[in-house]
Amino acid sequence: MSISLPTYTRREMPLLGRRHRLRAIIVTGLRREFKRPAVIVSTLLGVALIVIISTAILLFAGLFLPGQALDLSFFFVPASNQTVLFFITLMASLVGSALIADDLNSMALTLYLSRPITHADYLVAKAAILAPLISLIAVLPLVLTPFVAALLGLFSWTIALQAIGLAVLLGSLFTAFYTSVTLLLSSLTHRKSYAAAGIFAVTFGLTIPAEILSISINNPALLYASPWEDYLAVARAAFGAPGGQIDWPWALVILLAATLVAASLTYLRMKAVEVVAG
Amino acid sequence: MFGEVRAVDDLSVAIPEGAIGLVGPNGAGKTTFLRLLLGLVRPTTGTAKVLGHDIAEGVPVRERIGYMPEHDCLIPDMTGVGLVTFMGRVSGLDADTAISRAHDVLQFVGVEEERYRKIAEYSTGMKQKIKLAQAMVHDPQLYIFDEPTTGLDPRGRTEMLDLVRVIANSPGRNVVLSSHLLPDVETICKYIVILDGGHQIAAGELRQLLSGSADRLRIDVRGDREAFAQRLRETGLEAEATPTGVHVARKPGVEGVIFGIAKALGAEVRYMGREIRSLEEFFLELVERNEAAVSV
Amino acid sequence: MTAVAEAAGVSKWYGEVLGLNAFTASFGTGITGLVGPNGAGKSTLFKLLIGQLHANQGTLRLFGENPWNNVPLMRRLGYCPEHNQLYGWLTGQRFVEALLRLDGMSTKKASTAATAALKVVGLSGAAHRPTRTYSRGMRQRAKLAQALAHDPDVLILDEPLSGADPMARVQILRTISEFAKDGGHVIMSTHVLYEVERITQNIVLIHNGKAIASGDIHAIRALIDEHPHAVRIETSHPRQLAQALARMDHVVSLEVPSEDTLLIRTRKPDAFYKELPGIVADTRLDVRALESPDDSLEAVFRYLVG
Repeated sequence: MSISLPTYTRREMPLLGRRHRLRAIIVTGLRREFKRPAVIVSTLLGVALIVIISTAILLFAGLFLPGQALDLSFFFVPASNQTVLFFITLMASLVGSALIADDLNSMALTLYLSRPITHADYLVAKAAILAPLISLIAVLPLVLTPFVAALLGLFSWTIALQAIGLAVLLGSLFTAFYTSVTLLLSSLTHRKSYAAAGIFAVTFGLTIPAEILSISINNPALLYASPWEDYLAVARAAFGAPGGQIDWPWALVILLAATLVAASLTYLRMKAVEVVAG
Repeated sequence: MFGEVRAVDDLSVAIPEGAIGLVGPNGAGKTTFLRLLLGLVRPTTGTAKVLGHDIAEGVPVRERIGYMPEHDCLIPDMTGVGLVTFMGRVSGLDADTAISRAHDVLQFVGVEEERYRKIAEYSTGMKQKIKLAQAMVHDPQLYIFDEPTTGLDPRGRTEMLDLVRVIANSPGRNVVLSSHLLPDVETICKYIVILDGGHQIAAGELRQLLSGSADRLRIDVRGDREAFAQRLRETGLEAEATPTGVHVARKPGVEGVIFGIAKALGAEVRYMGREIRSLEEFFLELVERNEAAVSV
Repeated sequence: MTAVAEAAGVSKWYGEVLGLNAFTASFGTGITGLVGPNGAGKSTLFKLLIGQLHANQGTLRLFGENPWNNVPLMRRLGYCPEHNQLYGWLTGQRFVEALLRLDGMSTKKASTAATAALKVVGLSGAAHRPTRTYSRGMRQRAKLAQALAHDPDVLILDEPLSGADPMARVQILRTISEFAKDGGHVIMSTHVLYEVERITQNIVLIHNGKAIASGDIHAIRALIDEHPHAVRIETSHPRQLAQALARMDHVVSLEVPSEDTLLIRTRKPDAFYKELPGIVADTRLDVRALESPDDSLEAVFRYLVG
């Protein structure tokens, strides 16, 4: 044990600003996630599956979708692929459930908040770790599909570019929703398994009953309760695809509102955590 | 204010440079005070400035503070050096400075090759050292130590207190030590703030507060204490035998008398010196008085 | 007088991991402090004493009996574990009562005993609040209450003071002292050495699974020859006093660190203190203060354990 401090008198070390501090948290967080085999596998699997399925639909459109016009509305089909929903949920629960819950469990939150960052900074950083990973599923495959389609000459670049743009917007909306809700669930518990279960509950626990009940009691309004159906409604309207039982403006409002409310609740919850124990 | 209980009420504290002990019973407002210092909580009324910055600003204050929490707070699947580097960066150090400082502070606190292992495998002593290292990495002006010796064995306690002492004695750095172990506070801090019921009930230089009676001596006598005290009284000195020893009024030449009596009685004198009250005694007395005053 | 607890060559292994290694010590009456570094074997020893573990080798006796599988012996001891998790939803009163009833006491007797025990430790005011609202100091006292409530003959306490605020410490130490004064025996482990010194002079020092010292702190200190006893004397004539004291053959060194201080190192502190008053009185040299900075448990620990 040496007995002299590294610097005898304090030298004023210039401290970098908020961007750098957040970047440190985000980069470290992403690096840790990408070291996990589960994350690597689900990402690859998810992206691959969705792209393959979408390409297959593309190539064999005539077979799979008789009567489907080869215009913008075609791209609603890959966007509405249930694999997307499954893998988003999987990614959210693999990565997102532990993001805040682990910090609560180990009380590392104390260390974070004793640093020169605010609660908001902390949440923004956590969101910035989760969102890219979710958008690997929610955005990337749906961007690749029109791109591949245009390359293969099956669709014109105009349509393809439109589809890409819409995929980015829709994917981001869905990503924001899931990021926000996942972080809220993660902040409510010390155990990431509970949070993970909660995410599955939000996805399937809302979607499946809503779909079943809306048919059996013949009330399509129940579909508003399912985030997936809301997303589909907005996607349908965006891509110009026919059908749909609920109105897209309300669906959009619901998704946005849920995202914002979840984010606010998460913030309030984090502020309420006692970081200096008595 | 927190609900019906005023956690800290009308607390006026001016904390000078150096090493300050923060002491008080549970529920006295120490935790709230620390939270205020860290800018994690806003005062309901009043203002506070730390190191020249209003605590309402939060972030600039925390840039200059290193906090060593009492409870477990480390990220188990990171390595020691990884965590300290990370915390340095989150404090605003660039990547290279952070890793360089991290290794420096780990050397200082005495963590050698273990720094490359995961924190989950660390012993309690090592975890406390990492907690200290992460508080130091960004070279803050103000250190806040909350029960730094919790869970440490005697050797670990001595090491930790030595580290705290070196930090406290180095120029340009200030230390707030919050602890229930009053003798520890006594050996490190020159200045004490005592809280109870949300108020500051005493503050000042330790030596002054504890000076007790400079005009009395305490003697640790091996042998018949009562007889010793009696003999002292026979020479006209005020003396009494208590469980902590024989206490006698200090007069010129009393020391010679004491040894004379010791020789005559065949007793041993194992300690002779100022009757210094311990911080513990002072503290307990003060708190009792305060609680009595409050309930009246 | 039979010892309260006797260990002879006790060994306990957890696979390859050392618990106790041929541990031999005897715990006498009154209060004994058990001191040692982390991992030295203190918890293992306690678990053996309360019959939760069975030794691999050697014999361990509590009040002359083997604690293993010995329910009547368990009745005579009160144990305070280290961990602080109590049943949070129970009030202090209910907590102690529940544990007493587990012991076999009737509900009515349990209630009275619990109230009395909580009074002794100073928790009467908080007895009807759930334990999760208790501070660390209060939890320690609640644990102590449950250990005392069934009127045991011996208390086995694992870190009873950790995390307690100064008031709770004083109360706990007082309770332990009174218990001992009334004829009870206490074996208590702690890392904060000056706490032990406040209530007892008897310790057992454990390191790497062995007992490396046991008995009176000062006696042990006196035996540590390699570290001569240091005594600091404040006097206006340090060199004359040094000359006078140099005559004693057990004095190892004499230093004058400043013009009014003399630092003596002696191999035989008892002899030194016995002769000192005579020398001071005869030479009439003015001695203003006298202290021995390393006649403490802290020093003993440092010298023996490092």
